[in-house]
Amino acid sequence: MARETENWSTIRKVVQLVFLLAWLLLWLSTAGLTWGVKVLRLPAEIDPLLALTQAIASRTLTLGMLLSLILVLLTLLVGRVWCGWICPVGTLLDFFPFRLKIGEKPKIPEAWRAGKYLILLVLLLAAVFGNLSLLILDPITLWVRTITGSVAPALNGAFTAVENALAHIPWMSDPLTWLDGVMRPAIFPPQIVGIRFVWLPLLLFTVLILLNLLAERFWCRHLCPLGGMLGLISKLAFFKRRVRSECVSCAKCVRVCPTGTIDPYRGYASDAGECTLCMDCFTSCPESAVELKPGWNLEENMPYNPSRRQLLITGTVALAGLAVIDTNTNKHSGGNFLIRPPGAENDDLLEKCLRCGLCLRSCPTGALQASIAESGWVGVFTPVLVPRLGYCLYTCNNCGSVCPVEAIPPLPLKQKQITVIGHAFIDQNRCIPWADGTTCIVCEEMCPLPDKAIVLEERDSTDSEGNVFTLKLPHVVRERCIGCGICEYKCPRAGDAAIRVYRADM
Amino acid sequence: MEKMTRRKALRYLLVGGAAVAAVPLLDACQKMTATTSIPETAIAVENSTATPSETSTPLNLPDLAVARNGEPEPLVRAAVNAIGGLQQFIPNGGWVIVKPNICTAYYGYEYAATTNPWVVGTLVKMCFEAGAGKVQVMDYPFGGTPEDAYQVSGIAEQVEQNGGEMVVMSSFKFKKTAIENSLGLDSIYIYEDIFKADTLINVPIAKNHGMSKLTLAMKNLMGLMEYRETVHWNFGKCLTDLAGKIRPTLNVIDAVRILLNNGPTGGNLNDVKKLDTVIVSKDIVAADSYAATLFNFKPDDLDFVRYGAKYGLGRSDLAALNIQEIDLGA
Repeated sequence: MARETENWSTIRKVVQLVFLLAWLLLWLSTAGLTWGVKVLRLPAEIDPLLALTQAIASRTLTLGMLLSLILVLLTLLVGRVWCGWICPVGTLLDFFPFRLKIGEKPKIPEAWRAGKYLILLVLLLAAVFGNLSLLILDPITLWVRTITGSVAPALNGAFTAVENALAHIPWMSDPLTWLDGVMRPAIFPPQIVGIRFVWLPLLLFTVLILLNLLAERFWCRHLCPLGGMLGLISKLAFFKRRVRSECVSCAKCVRVCPTGTIDPYRGYASDAGECTLCMDCFTSCPESAVELKPGWNLEENMPYNPSRRQLLITGTVALAGLAVIDTNTNKHSGGNFLIRPPGAENDDLLEKCLRCGLCLRSCPTGALQASIAESGWVGVFTPVLVPRLGYCLYTCNNCGSVCPVEAIPPLPLKQKQITVIGHAFIDQNRCIPWADGTTCIVCEEMCPLPDKAIVLEERDSTDSEGNVFTLKLPHVVRERCIGCGICEYKCPRAGDAAIRVYRADM
Repeated sequence: MEKMTRRKALRYLLVGGAAVAAVPLLDACQKMTATTSIPETAIAVENSTATPSETSTPLNLPDLAVARNGEPEPLVRAAVNAIGGLQQFIPNGGWVIVKPNICTAYYGYEYAATTNPWVVGTLVKMCFEAGAGKVQVMDYPFGGTPEDAYQVSGIAEQVEQNGGEMVVMSSFKFKKTAIENSLGLDSIYIYEDIFKADTLINVPIAKNHGMSKLTLAMKNLMGLMEYRETVHWNFGKCLTDLAGKIRPTLNVIDAVRILLNNGPTGGNLNDVKKLDTVIVSKDIVAADSYAATLFNFKPDDLDFVRYGAKYGLGRSDLAALNIQEIDLGA
């Protein structure tokens, strides 16, 4: 018996690693949509928190998101097995238990466990009013955002730097070419892609990791809204952890439990809303007294479960917060450069977008970036086009295809190519021919439209040596421009481009 | 496994750090030897006092050959054979780089924005017939990824069918190359393999361009350099600097279809004219001069042709050139 239970912890760790690898491969192949969008949407579609809040906020039901019922059913069967076995954030947090570093962790009040339920409440309330901004706390969006926004750009930067350093050594040329062919475009982008605020997602994730110093899996115990949601469902779970009478009160299980939910004062019982089914207590028990017992019975109410008063206070504060956030909007608000992906309307996008970041990963040019300031707090980490960093590729509709909830509509290529996402304006005070009187037609050359949206006005001019020549001055034809931004991306003027794409209604 | 101690870790770091620090040193050594490794064809403009066509064309072979009215493969074969065939340019088992124009991943070949795939495919085939050991085809598109552009243009299919290799140009292979006594560009980042290969065949498509009026053989060389946007200041002179540094062994201008408007990207079939013509010359200026006439331009209407001829890259006086015209339809 003892042998059998000992294996469970190992099996769990192997499963965790396999899932982590699967998450990673899914993320990798999102860049070229190699595995097809049906598979690549799975990370978002499996998440019931995303499904529920998104359905509430947008008042629409997306078929694919019903896949999350699988996870709900699994939780109804065995509790928060997602948290202990599958979740990429949970697995990563397990890498940093900080057990050896500090012997005795500070005592965290049990009442703080209510935090995740309260965050969940705020999220649901906000969703009623069409605000999904707190989905940035969902573990799936955290995972995709951190690797897309921080880890991958950093690794790419390091890899490119090593490549460039080694490229100076003559005999390295062939091996480097081979290595480059293996890594690009499968893992790193073929061309240099700039990502803004690379430090930000990693900083947020580092905070989650450092919270482990206070308590193991502090994030999962106290803050994670998906953990809260699955925790509530787990209270009804069919299989629950029970301690048999063989228990000798050695308290070994109390010490190994990563969520600290085993209570010596209640006969070493645990709260199904907290337990992540990690099986460490099974393994550590010398008497094999821990078991999973089937049977429908509601978990007893715990002292830290939010009281009616707490719920009311949180709800009121949340509503007040929402009111403050949402009152500053009128038709002139929003940044000049709030350029949304093709076909996405700003208001519609805000009510549908999961902040999952799959579109950012699928964009081949790095044009799509996480919005930080462009669309205010309500739109933090939603996709926005930043043409100076990348252009919307004329022959690409990846973002709309991969979006799990049609926040970016799945436009056929032909339609995407005539969808206006912004308008280019030339700053004649900085444009090379206009300001310097010398030739440059890069914006016109780059324009991908069959009838170019940039035309050249010819004018006789005199250069510094007194020779007369034909100066070509670019103009934007507003009716043709779709705002793809390749003109801004390629403009040779240093710093801000002399031709810039503004949002479509400008 | 042995236990890793702090001391050991520090020692490894020190050795590793020293190795990294040594890279610039190695780099310096490399630069010292680099001047000798650049082949003769890459001499700077001002050193080449004689025009290439005067010194290098054997008796009776034309300076330039034009083939008209036929399918791409016969056109290419006729024109290339007229100037003496590819054997003279390719050592046995040699390494050939073919540089078509694959500027974007937007449109197929029928839009005349990218070089005709059968023209490229035929050249690959002919290189192997002439004894080449390795034939690589590459360009550096400015719109879309190289992989996509290679597929969309139809060039990948033809090249691979004929045993050639489509190469994605790695950015670390663009090396800063100084240009002495330049007209405008003091240094360019050039794809280093160009200087290592035995033969470079330049295969542009003839098309309209907003700045230079046309993009032809000289302009096509821009696909071999990085940071191209800077070239657009003083275009004609910069192209002359570039073409003085990169001297293609042979220029084959594809005018099977030409693009009359909305170039270089294209996208409108009304701007395309089918000419079924291929121009071949070792002289890059002569090739561009002849191609200009297809658009009813005089060679001197093009800045880069004027500067190219003035600084000795080749000849633009079409009347004085030995031109062989071949009509396959006759």
